[in-house]
Amino acid sequence: MKTLVRIVAVLIVIGLAALAAIIFVPVQRTGPTEKLAADWQAPAGLGKYDARMADCAACHTEPGGKPFAGGRTIASPMGDIYTPNITPDKETGIGTWSLADFRAALVDGVDDEDHHLYPAMPYENYRHMSETDIRAMYDYFMHDVEPVKNQVAETELPFPFNQRWGIRLWNWVTLGNPGFKPASTKVANDEQLSRGAYLVQVLGHCGSCHTPRNLTMAQAGTNETDAKFLTGGEIGGWSAPDLRGPKSAPQQWSADELKMYLTAGRNAHSAVAGEMKLAVEESLQYMSDEDANAMVAYLRAIGTNGPAPAEAPMKRDETPAGTVARIDAADDPTTTKLKKAVDLTDGERLYVDNCGACHFADGRGAPEVFPSLKGNAAVVAKETGGLIHTILYGAEMPSTSKRPMKLRMPGFAQRLSDDDVAKLATFLRGAWGNGAGPVTADQVAKERKTPTEASH
Amino acid sequence: MARQDPRKDVVVIGLGWTGAIMSMELAQEGLEVLALERGDDRDTVPDFQYPNIIDELKYGIRYGLMQKPRKSTLTIRHGLDDTALPYRHLGSFLPGDGVGGAGAHWNGQNWRPQEPEYRLRSYVEETFGADIIPEGMTIQDWGVTYEELEPYFDQFEKVAGISGKAGNLNGEIVEGGNPFEAPRSSDYPMPPLPHTYDADLFSKAAKAKGLHPFPRPSANASEAYTNPYGMQLGPCNFCGFCERFGCLNYSKSSPQVCILDALKRKPNFSYKTNSEVLKIEKAEDGKTVTGVTYFDEKANEEVFQPADLVLLCAYSLHNVHLLLLSGIGQPYDPATGEGVVGKNYAYQMTGGTRLYFKDKQFNPFIGTGSNGISIDDYSISQIDFAKEGFIGGSYITAGQTNGRPIQSMPLPPGTPKWGKAWKEAAGEWYGRSMAIGSHGSNMSYRDCYLDLDPTYTDRHGRPLMRMTFNWKENDIRMTQFMKARIEEIAETMNPDMIASGYKKDGSQYDVRPYQSTHNVGGAIMGAERKTSVLNKYLQHWDCHNLFVMGASAYPQNIQYNPTGALGGLAYWSAAAIRKDYLANPRPLV
Amino acid sequence: MVDLPGRPSRRSFLKATVASAAVTSIPIGLPHAKAAELPSLEDYKPVYFDAAEWSFILAACARLIPSDGTGPGAIETRVPVFIDLQMAGDFGKAADWYMEGPYKADANPLLGFQSPLAPAEIYRKAIPVFQDWCKQTHGDAFEKLDAETQDAALTSLEKGGVKLDPELRDFFSFLLQNTKEGYFADPMYGGNQGMQAWVHIGFPGARGSYAEWVNNYNAEYPLGPVSISGERA
Repeated sequence: MKTLVRIVAVLIVIGLAALAAIIFVPVQRTGPTEKLAADWQAPAGLGKYDARMADCAACHTEPGGKPFAGGRTIASPMGDIYTPNITPDKETGIGTWSLADFRAALVDGVDDEDHHLYPAMPYENYRHMSETDIRAMYDYFMHDVEPVKNQVAETELPFPFNQRWGIRLWNWVTLGNPGFKPASTKVANDEQLSRGAYLVQVLGHCGSCHTPRNLTMAQAGTNETDAKFLTGGEIGGWSAPDLRGPKSAPQQWSADELKMYLTAGRNAHSAVAGEMKLAVEESLQYMSDEDANAMVAYLRAIGTNGPAPAEAPMKRDETPAGTVARIDAADDPTTTKLKKAVDLTDGERLYVDNCGACHFADGRGAPEVFPSLKGNAAVVAKETGGLIHTILYGAEMPSTSKRPMKLRMPGFAQRLSDDDVAKLATFLRGAWGNGAGPVTADQVAKERKTPTEASH
Repeated sequence: MARQDPRKDVVVIGLGWTGAIMSMELAQEGLEVLALERGDDRDTVPDFQYPNIIDELKYGIRYGLMQKPRKSTLTIRHGLDDTALPYRHLGSFLPGDGVGGAGAHWNGQNWRPQEPEYRLRSYVEETFGADIIPEGMTIQDWGVTYEELEPYFDQFEKVAGISGKAGNLNGEIVEGGNPFEAPRSSDYPMPPLPHTYDADLFSKAAKAKGLHPFPRPSANASEAYTNPYGMQLGPCNFCGFCERFGCLNYSKSSPQVCILDALKRKPNFSYKTNSEVLKIEKAEDGKTVTGVTYFDEKANEEVFQPADLVLLCAYSLHNVHLLLLSGIGQPYDPATGEGVVGKNYAYQMTGGTRLYFKDKQFNPFIGTGSNGISIDDYSISQIDFAKEGFIGGSYITAGQTNGRPIQSMPLPPGTPKWGKAWKEAAGEWYGRSMAIGSHGSNMSYRDCYLDLDPTYTDRHGRPLMRMTFNWKENDIRMTQFMKARIEEIAETMNPDMIASGYKKDGSQYDVRPYQSTHNVGGAIMGAERKTSVLNKYLQHWDCHNLFVMGASAYPQNIQYNPTGALGGLAYWSAAAIRKDYLANPRPLV
Repeated sequence: MVDLPGRPSRRSFLKATVASAAVTSIPIGLPHAKAAELPSLEDYKPVYFDAAEWSFILAACARLIPSDGTGPGAIETRVPVFIDLQMAGDFGKAADWYMEGPYKADANPLLGFQSPLAPAEIYRKAIPVFQDWCKQTHGDAFEKLDAETQDAALTSLEKGGVKLDPELRDFFSFLLQNTKEGYFADPMYGGNQGMQAWVHIGFPGARGSYAEWVNNYNAEYPLGPVSISGERA
């Protein structure tokens, strides 16, 4: 959510400068991009499915709260931002909203009274939603979601951050044409890739985390024809990894493993953590098999160096992950030294004392159970917040229908000092050929202050 | 007055292995299932998390995960004429409580009984003649055969994720497995674990004597594994904190690791902790039960929970206690041999020999609860009972489970218990010894049984259960036979010293040192209503909507650890309920 | 332990390190530096024991696991502190035990603990009885006797030569068991200071990670212990 803060800060500056020009012009709402018959009915279950794919619950459901009743608090240095109640309750929710109001929120980023929403609401992506999906979701929220009376506290940021009209200018600069059209012919000519593109770009709004931000804090690319689209972003000190470069997961993993990661939250190489855990837990695990295949196909098709090879470079480890195979496996220098356990550096010793029990001397962990630390995106990430946070406070895999177990790594904040964590993290980033730079105790001290699982 | 809660389809008493299995199987039928657990909720993190669980004092010595006698215990006496006294603190056996039950802190030794064990009385009578059965020995057939149970053993082993090597695949003997096991329809779901130095030395010595060593089947995973419920195990790291501890590593099969997260996703399943069932309520006609009354600790009140089906899935001793307290079934009377509830309580006969080597280093802290190499050459199916003069058998194993120094500090015979010599011996000999142990059967007897104590009561004012038990000549002969066999093997290994510990003539049951938490019988299954509590489907003979799981059903103790057998029985019973009982609730036999 | 000729022992080195650290009061565990903050045993203020009891506990522990010879003793590992804290906690109070009457304290020992007294009360009542016996038999309080006489007195206590009421009969077994517990338990319970007892025998403590060592037969394990709090030696 720090991203949001930065967006707002940029907006405010721009907004103040352009104040006179934009302040009095009424908001123009975008109409439907497709004409549906008056008696059009959404297919059964579509609205609920779309709401899940768009991951509305991730922000609009409070932890432990009623679905979509809002009130999730997003702490920012400027003050707390509260997500609204989007149940059909007439007083405290969106029960009085018309279809046009609902569409305007998704497409234009304004509420029923044309007040601008904070761009934490990813209307930059939702803007391209099809009219059928908008209608289906509207019907779902109005008729199937249980109305909950929950008066969410008004977000009251101090001046000048409370001047939401500044967002308008940003919208003018940022938002593309509504509706969805595949950007490249390759995608346009392939039904599966088109569906995948729609899921990734629009409903799944993957770019909101995985695409870097440009100077105005907008996503620096919204589709595969933009060079920076999905090439990695940053969220709350964690790296949201690059999804298109030659070393990225979609390029390195097989289609099956990528699909496991997205739908089960874990695969032979890694496991989801941070914001991605929420995305799998609330949204991606519910993807239909067909949609999961489409998403995987699209992500594998849009590599910056071309499509992913059919035969994945990183293979599922066929040697059993058990202790039998491990003992005799061919070793790299890190593994050899850890196994010998003589003259260890502090970082190595800390690894043996704290991590080796599950991740083992070879750092490989065990498929789908203990993530491999060798080449792990979170371990070698540019932003070290995710790695440090995981060491301090642990991580939990989401329960999914394919893999119901909430495998949890405990945190080590009690056992390890800042200096210990820095030495350990530095070791991890250099071990098994990982080749990433060191971590300092100051970085650890900073991360120690944010003990929640998702630190933002 | 007791609060009454809305009716459930199924109430499950106890959320350990069998409670979790039955909840899952019946939740899959779409039934509303409520599990009542008297202890606390527990999960790998935070309750067994690394490194906090690696605390010998808290869990290994002070029994942090076990039942607290203050809340629940029993009284014990040796014979019918003695006064029983309370088991005031834990010693000889360690019942668990809390979610996961003993399944959270077992060693993970997972076996299937041998074919003759299921029909022991018939086997003995047919093979050796009824007259070899000593006066007062009350062994019975189980009323179910190995063949009937085989698919369900297979199912349990796949859920639990057992590592091992088959020795008899559909009748074909497989080199390297246990050639004396009953035929299996499929191999273990995972290959065996590697084994430690002690097991390796034993294996070679046993082989040299013409015996048949094989890897002990283990519920500690040898590799990453996903079970039929989508639940997962990670490879065991030999941390040496297995029995008495929850697994820090998702490696030891338990309800937590194998079932619970999948079960908790089911909207028709719920569970309540700190809810001890006080009584199973019988219908007026005595042919069914109507639900259970339990004490809700959080609300501090008694609750009546009506249910169509009651599954008693507590620890074996508590199953029997609840039946006695509820007045369901006729209590057993040792004077007349009449009655069934409490009959045929049996224990486990174990012994061991320790071998000391000045020049070998075993690093005993490298271990798992089910590490090691076993032989079954002296098992029940292999011994000529008539010739040897006893009924029973043992499996024999070497495989270190831990080197935790408070509990496991074996020092050579003659070493003082304290002082400088003790201290120096601890430094000198820790890691310089290994053990070969026997794990054997215990027969049932007319005067070994469970009933209600006339004097002592629990915190709810209910009578404690009374255990009447002592060692008998037959089983002492059996263990002495094993001592001789083990010492023969040990001698060929050329240790500097050996020390043996086995029950011998005149040995009385001592409740103080830990021996085994394999308390069986008391709610036994069988072919006849007159001589057993449960029919072959673990259904109560009198109340057809009450099923009783667990080792309380064993008419005498098998030579193996009980969990594999009770896991298989639970799936067998679940299948009968699902396929047959639900559509037409009635006595299945 | 047996340091075999010609085989370099990591443990001898570790033992030397611990010994020098104990002498110079350098904390062994790098990250948590707790050792340096602890008061010396003489300055320790017992939570449960009174002054007379404490003198006895110190003296008895010093004989049950003495400081001379190879390996640390109960005193330098602060075992008495452990026992004091245990008496003040759940163990001393028998918080988990079934303590309802009627009691038959002189029952057949095979039927287990049958005293109406919790362990802390047993210590409290038994220590003066034993002290009286020491005065009568050996002419002085236990802590004033020479080491040899102390050992003889403890042996009498162990073997039943000191007459104790049946409800106190488990006193020596508690004392010995608690002493060994304090010696080998995690340092967070007050004893096993600096993990010296673990180093002495070669137990690696709260590591729990030996997959790679399972098939490393008959080899000396080179790493010193780690405690639950992360102290390293």
